[in-house]
Amino acid sequence: MNRRSLILGLSACVVVFFLLSLLTGPASYGPIDSLRALVVGGDEAAAIILREIRLPRALLGLMVGFALGASGAALQGFLRNPLAEPGIIGVSASASLGAVTVFYSGLAGASMLALPAGALVGAVASVLLLLGIAARHGSTLTLILSGVALSSLAGALTSLALNLSPNPFASYEIIFWLLGSLKDRSMVHVAIALPLMAAGAALLFASSRALDALTLGEESAASLGIDLRRARLFVVGGVALMVGAATAVAGAIGFVGLVMPHLVRPLTDRMPGSLILPAGLGGAALLLAADVSVRVAIPARELNVGVLTALIGAPFFLWLVARTRREAF
Amino acid sequence: MKADLPPRGGDVRQDRGGRRRAPSIAVALTLSFAVLAKAEAASPARVMSLNVCTDQLAMLLAAPGQLVSVSELASDPGLSFHSALAASYPHNRGLAEEVLVAKPDVVVTGAYSLHNTTPLLRRLGYRIEEFQYSQTLDTIPGEIRRMGMILGAESRAEGMAEAFESELSRIGSERCGTSPTAIAYDQNGIAMGAGSLVDSAMQAAGLRNIAAELGYSGMAPFPLELLVEKKPDIIVLPEPLAETPALADLIASHPAIRALGEGTLRIHLPRGSASCGGPFVIEAVKVLADARRRVVSCQAADRHLP
Amino acid sequence: MRLSTTNLSIELSGRKVLDRVSIDLQPGEVVGLLGPNGAGKSTLMRALASLLETPDVLLGDRALSTLASGERARKIAFLPQEKTIGWALAVRQLVMLGRIPWRAFGQKPSVADEATAAEAMRLLDVDGLAERPATQLSGGEQARVLAARAVAQDTPFLIADEPASGLDPAHQILMMQAFRAVAGKGRCVLVSLHDLTLAARWCDRVVVLDGGRVAADGEPGKVLDADLLRSVYGVTAHVAHEAGKLVLAPLALSDGGRP
Repeated sequence: MNRRSLILGLSACVVVFFLLSLLTGPASYGPIDSLRALVVGGDEAAAIILREIRLPRALLGLMVGFALGASGAALQGFLRNPLAEPGIIGVSASASLGAVTVFYSGLAGASMLALPAGALVGAVASVLLLLGIAARHGSTLTLILSGVALSSLAGALTSLALNLSPNPFASYEIIFWLLGSLKDRSMVHVAIALPLMAAGAALLFASSRALDALTLGEESAASLGIDLRRARLFVVGGVALMVGAATAVAGAIGFVGLVMPHLVRPLTDRMPGSLILPAGLGGAALLLAADVSVRVAIPARELNVGVLTALIGAPFFLWLVARTRREAF
Repeated sequence: MKADLPPRGGDVRQDRGGRRRAPSIAVALTLSFAVLAKAEAASPARVMSLNVCTDQLAMLLAAPGQLVSVSELASDPGLSFHSALAASYPHNRGLAEEVLVAKPDVVVTGAYSLHNTTPLLRRLGYRIEEFQYSQTLDTIPGEIRRMGMILGAESRAEGMAEAFESELSRIGSERCGTSPTAIAYDQNGIAMGAGSLVDSAMQAAGLRNIAAELGYSGMAPFPLELLVEKKPDIIVLPEPLAETPALADLIASHPAIRALGEGTLRIHLPRGSASCGGPFVIEAVKVLADARRRVVSCQAADRHLP
Repeated sequence: MRLSTTNLSIELSGRKVLDRVSIDLQPGEVVGLLGPNGAGKSTLMRALASLLETPDVLLGDRALSTLASGERARKIAFLPQEKTIGWALAVRQLVMLGRIPWRAFGQKPSVADEATAAEAMRLLDVDGLAERPATQLSGGEQARVLAARAVAQDTPFLIADEPASGLDPAHQILMMQAFRAVAGKGRCVLVSLHDLTLAARWCDRVVVLDGGRVAADGEPGKVLDADLLRSVYGVTAHVAHEAGKLVLAPLALSDGGRP
């Protein structure tokens, strides 16, 4: 499949699921009424529902999915590791820990900006730690195991921080921070995440050539004129911005970044750099679809979307681990 | 002996009068009741409360020095309407060990809380008085009177219960016109549906609880979309329970609720006024009735009455 | 233009790996870099490829470290000993990675890029594998594909660290022929080798390292003799001449049976 038709196809999927997301919800409006309410206003309640509840939710599904898919592709390329993913190697969990620490301590008051600030610090710290481990011990499995350990530790500390909060609701929010959700978000969340994600995406796209060259290892890449220090900075910064922003507004949503690069890679030329965009689009479509499903499946007791992605992603991960021992990607 | 007593002392009298029993049992019952009646007449010297709801009733009714300690939650302003009163009492954490150390004559607690502690204390021979968690206003006067009886403060309790009942009927008599719609939308998007204390307070204030009308009962997750679609006249929003933030509190400031505009009245209930059955629930009813008057003008509505 | 260093000394984690090494690479020659394991061959090659931050390597009369990374990549190509292929790229694309320094960011390969890559694949006899995933090839095929990538970089200097190890005799010769062809276009190839006969037959010049120092530097016929092999490698060897070129066959360990 050539690149243009792949991008167009994935974009069409994103558009379809975006619209479905806009049209899914407990308030029953027809598709035409819904879209009219969204664009021109109309019936007041419908306009508020579409603009203040469903639009931010659909936008966040798109943005968070894109961020996770693109980050997964970039991490896999940079580490030459098919199992790398922000959720599995603990970046998401660390971002959660950072957000939780800053927000629930009340250090920043009840300011929403505490969330992305803390999440960014957590994400950067975890990516740096993991790159340090990857530089010392190059093996695929060492990195993944370290990430799993980091993920558990960050999850435990997140639970601890929430349990220690004097706010009685904090301990019920453990599940949100460990298995994210897009429920009842608002345009405020979109506004918080968008600039960070845009900057992160720019950094990841700017490192695409370095990722291609890194297919041949670090020395060959350096001899091809790649500034490895800059590439590392871009990938760390890009992933931290993307995953940090995503986690700050939606909690830790796992496996999107793992599944998507693998699903779209066979449809591309397999160059790690050219995988970022399709993996991002695929991630957006996947998360939007998952978020529609959790609303349709059990409308009364809405499931966290992170639960669904984990239900899909974890078996996929196991299959991938088994396959990695035999093949290359 | 004590362990054989029925849990609610007040019921024993009916038992004795209404039933025929084997002589040995009748003797035993008579004996045990004699012990109990003596205890009641003397009014227990040391009472310990393990539950935030019994804490408040006990603090309102106990004689000075009678109440040994109240639960920690009694001083939590988010849950306890009389948190200020609790400052002058020692606090307990609801542990059996604390009861063993304090050796109170009576322990008052909630029926659903501490369900490991209660049977243990009973086995050890303590007198435990359990209170059901009040879900409706009409049980409150009874609860007040029962606490009065346990504490030996019957007349103060009677006054308090009568004041509650008369205030309630006064508020009921001032109702006029159509009933506005309302919803109590709590942290995390939880609505107070049918059978909840807030639902009962809304009925008393002459409001239609849309969560109950839509079939939600108890504390139930209620979609924000549905709230916007139904556009109730009054939204009862939570105040943060603690200084430290939680995501749960953010729902109250969601732009969709703000976007409902001037047509929707947003109110808070006095803190702790609707989390336990007690005389203070009347404060919640008053706030709701006041909100009702602001939404429905009585004079205008009266003209439509026959 | 020459790539040179004079009295280069390098310490790695406290151990002196190179000790006052001088080397001078000229256009048009294939230079063999010989020496036992641990003699410092790989370190010298990395230094010349500017992968170690050393200010002592000159390209022409400029210090190599002052060149921008992109500019340097258009002057010197490096083929590391480790054969890393991260993803199942088609051979054609893997070789095309060698053209990265010649394209602006985001630019697609030009017709000239395609032609250069195709030529490199032909030189190393991998043009028949062009559409195969590189990860599914045999070790020898992968070695040639990676060499083709370095050749496709089309630089005045090509530095290859043991590119012939693991190849069968025919492909060893093919690889050396390819390097000769590269040198024939006025470029310079520095190649480290363990096969002494291969070095003697195909290199214009050999530089022999021993314990971080240059033990010999000159034409193979003049430099490689029984004495040098004994002192550097610790082996006795059969030394013969065949059609004007040396043939060197190590026979046994000399001096007490240790290398």
